[in-house]
Amino acid sequence: MIIPNPLALIAEITHRCPLHCVYCSNPLEMAAVSSELSTEEWIDVFQQCGKLGMLHAHFTGGEPLARPDLTELIAGACAAGLYTNLITSGIGLAEARLQALVDAGLDHIQLSFQDSREEAANWIAGAKAHAHKIELSRIIRGHKLAFTVNLVIHRQNIDHLAEMIAFIEQLSPERMEIAHTQYYGWALKNRAALLPTRAQLDTAVEAVAAAEKRLAGRIRVDFVVPDYYARFPKACMGGWGRRLMLINPTGKVLPCHAAEVIPGLSFENVRDWSLEFIWQQSSSFQRFRGEEWMPEPCRSCDQRAQDFGGCRCQALLLTGNPEATDPACSLAPAHHIVEAALAEANSSTEISQPVAATSFVQLQKRAGELWSYRTNPE
Amino acid sequence: MNGMTPPEDSSQPRLATGCRWGAENKASNEERMILFPEGAIKLQGTGRQVLERCDGQRTFGQIITELQAQFSDADPAKIRADISQFLEQLRRKRIVDY
Repeated sequence: MIIPNPLALIAEITHRCPLHCVYCSNPLEMAAVSSELSTEEWIDVFQQCGKLGMLHAHFTGGEPLARPDLTELIAGACAAGLYTNLITSGIGLAEARLQALVDAGLDHIQLSFQDSREEAANWIAGAKAHAHKIELSRIIRGHKLAFTVNLVIHRQNIDHLAEMIAFIEQLSPERMEIAHTQYYGWALKNRAALLPTRAQLDTAVEAVAAAEKRLAGRIRVDFVVPDYYARFPKACMGGWGRRLMLINPTGKVLPCHAAEVIPGLSFENVRDWSLEFIWQQSSSFQRFRGEEWMPEPCRSCDQRAQDFGGCRCQALLLTGNPEATDPACSLAPAHHIVEAALAEANSSTEISQPVAATSFVQLQKRAGELWSYRTNPE
Repeated sequence: MNGMTPPEDSSQPRLATGCRWGAENKASNEERMILFPEGAIKLQGTGRQVLERCDGQRTFGQIITELQAQFSDADPAKIRADISQFLEQLRRKRIVDY
C-alpha cells in the first residue's frame, strides 16, 4: 500500500536552549551537540521534503537560533519550496540576524512568551528573557513576515490570562496561540505544579472566548485545551505517521516529539535512509498507523477517525502500555489515572509566588520541590 | 474596534502578511495552494479566481464586476454575497486583509 506523503517537517535542529522552561516537551535525555546533523545534511533533508511534496518546515529545538548556520538552513528549506516557520524564544536574535533570516526567505516567526509579568516570566523560563522578547517583537513588526505570539499556560499563570492576552495584543501579532502545557518530558515531571484546577480552566475558556470576539479580523486566537480535561483525546500529530515527520538533532526520524519514550521502537536516521523510504517502510511509522493496532474501545468508536486513539506516548507514559487507549479519553479503561491527577490538582487552589535569583543555580535551589528546570545537553 | 466588517467596494483585498501561494508544480492545473503559518488551503474554481484577484491593487468592487462578467448566468447579487462572505471568513483566519 502506498501511504500519502507527509505534509510538514518538524526540524528539531538542536536541543541546546538558553531557557530552562519548566514545561519543556523535550526529552529528559537530550542529544549532545557533537552528534547534531551538519548544515549539508539538513539541506539535503529539505530537498527530499520538497520532492515529497511537503509544504511546511517548522524549525524548532531547543532553540533553533543556537545553530550559527540557521540562516543557511532557512535558505535551504526555502530553496526546496517549503514554507518556513521559526519557533523561537528570540534569545540570540536582533535586527541584523532577523534581516538575514527574512532575506533568506523566512515566512513566519513564532515567538514564545512565558507570562506578561516580567518577574513571573523569568521565573518560569529560568532565564532573564522577557524584556528582550518585548524588544524583539517591536523589531519583528518592522519586517515583512507573519508573526505569532505563543503563550504556554498552566496553573501558575492561568489566573491572569486576560491580562496576558491584553499584553500580547499590544505586540500586534497576526496570531496568538494560547496553549496549555502538554504533559511530556519536563512538563510531566513537573505536572503537579502545572496542572490547573477546573475553576481556573473555566475562567480561562471565558477569557479566550471574549478575546476571540474582540480581536476578530485583527488577531487570530488559537487555543489548545488541556487534554486531561477534555472528553476525548487530542488527535496527536494528526495521527501517527499520517501527516508529519519529526527529525531530531541527530537525524533520527520520528512520528512525534516524544516517540523515543516508547520501548521496542527503533528509529531510522536520515544519514542511512531516504525520507521517502522511512515514511513508507519504517516499522516504527507503521506501528500505530491506521486502525489495525487499536484496542477497544477505540476500534469500534465513532471518534476513531477524529482522534486516532489519542497519543501513543501519553498512553505509554501513564499506563506503561503504548497500545492503550489514551487515558485522557473519558472512555479509556485507564482514565482513572488522569482522574486521579485531576483530583489532586483540584484538592487545593494553591499557587506559588515567583522567585527571583541572581543565577540559574541559585534559582534551581530556590525552586525547591516545586519543579525542576529543564537543563541542557552536553 | 469590535468584531468584523465585510469588505467595502473600495477595499483592496490582499493576502495577509506571511501568506503566499505555493509553488505551481505542487498542484494540478486546476488547483493552487495558499500557504500560511500553520497550514494550507487548496483552491480551485471560483475560490481560486477570487484569491488570484486579491492582489492589493484591484478593489473589491472591481473583483465583483470581473467575476459577475465571467459567470454571467449566475445571480450577480448572490456572487457578491458569496464573495463577501468568503473574504470575511479568510480575514478572520488572517489569510486575507482588506
